[in-house]
Amino acid sequence: MLLVILWLIQDFLTVFGGGGMQVPGLFMLGIVYKLLFDDGSDDSLWAIWAAFAGGILWDLRWVGIPGFFTLAHVIVVLIVLQVWGMIPPQARDSGNTIIVFMLMELSQLLPPMLPVLILGGNIGWTFFLIQQAYSLPAILFTMYIYLKRVKDSKKV
Amino acid sequence: MDNTRNNTRQWVHGLTALILGLFLLGISSSLGVVKNIVDLWGTLLSVPEYPAVVMREIYLDWRAWTRDKNSLNREVKQLREENAQLRIELAKLTSGKIYSDDKNSESKTARVTLRAPMSWWNEIRIDRGEVDKITQGLPVFYNGYLIGRVSTVSSMSSWAELITSPSFMIPAVIEETRELGVVVGDGNGTVLMRYIPAGRGVKDGMKVSTAMIGEQLPPGLPIGKIASEVSSGSDGYATYRIDPGADLSRFYTVSY
Repeated sequence: MLLVILWLIQDFLTVFGGGGMQVPGLFMLGIVYKLLFDDGSDDSLWAIWAAFAGGILWDLRWVGIPGFFTLAHVIVVLIVLQVWGMIPPQARDSGNTIIVFMLMELSQLLPPMLPVLILGGNIGWTFFLIQQAYSLPAILFTMYIYLKRVKDSKKV
Repeated sequence: MDNTRNNTRQWVHGLTALILGLFLLGISSSLGVVKNIVDLWGTLLSVPEYPAVVMREIYLDWRAWTRDKNSLNREVKQLREENAQLRIELAKLTSGKIYSDDKNSESKTARVTLRAPMSWWNEIRIDRGEVDKITQGLPVFYNGYLIGRVSTVSSMSSWAELITSPSFMIPAVIEETRELGVVVGDGNGTVLMRYIPAGRGVKDGMKVSTAMIGEQLPPGLPIGKIASEVSSGSDGYATYRIDPGADLSRFYTVSY
């Protein structure tokens, strides 16, 4: 349900921005956030198919050709699963702020870049800076929630 | 063991999703049905997207309105300045017609023959009188700025009351804001403008000239500039000190 709401908020913001704005990928941030608290069981498979579904719907709404964001979303989830899976569960709660940030950053950077990489186009500093300007606050906010939750769980 | 199994499952599902994504990417451009799905999905989403569309329209309208308002404000300011300049020019032409005896609107000069120390800031005597067509109430200038008006006339000379005199009271206008007030002297070399409503954006350096509502003097005769606010009374009116355009300490001749 949370992912559906995030997808709709992302869509809402894109409409408000006139379609030309690099809206932060709230949907993918939500998936990455949930995966960080996953214990690596079979349940994590939901993330692959949720990312697939969210991507295909995004493609149908904003790209017109299904596949671009679908692929990017699935790639991001696979990378997150592999990287996070390499860290022992005991070590996940401490000292991984940079890795968490990089995974969240990846979820924001790869999806909008993939269509440009496939179709061709200019990926200059301007693209990167504009994308970062919009997504960085969302990433930092998610990081804050993540760290707060980790801290609270330690107290318990 | 479980970890390896989970990892394998993740890869299987991930690769399946990727292949499916690539397959969709490959075939969708050639399938007409995708267009229909895109249209249908867009129509369905138009319901939750409606508030965003409305908010965007409101934002765009507000931005356009702000831009138009700023542009209009600039235009109004420019027109006010132009208007003030034109009023001055018109006043000069009008006063030339009224007070000039000949058809040329060139001003005439008169020499100051007496400025008594006891009434230094109140009056002067000039060497022009009735024979020179001097009349009571005629404005007197120095360097193009109003310094007083003729109060008494004799055949060969006249007395002019200066704007620094406490009994010299004339309606005047601040050209930039069109606020009306009364210009009056204090008898000690200071010229004041009284009865300006407080908080009307009057600033130092704004030009002051005679107002149209005065019967004795034509409108638009330049007097000077606002120098500073002297007081803002409890009655809601402010008094400003005026920096006269003419140097009232160093004139030996006047024009009329």
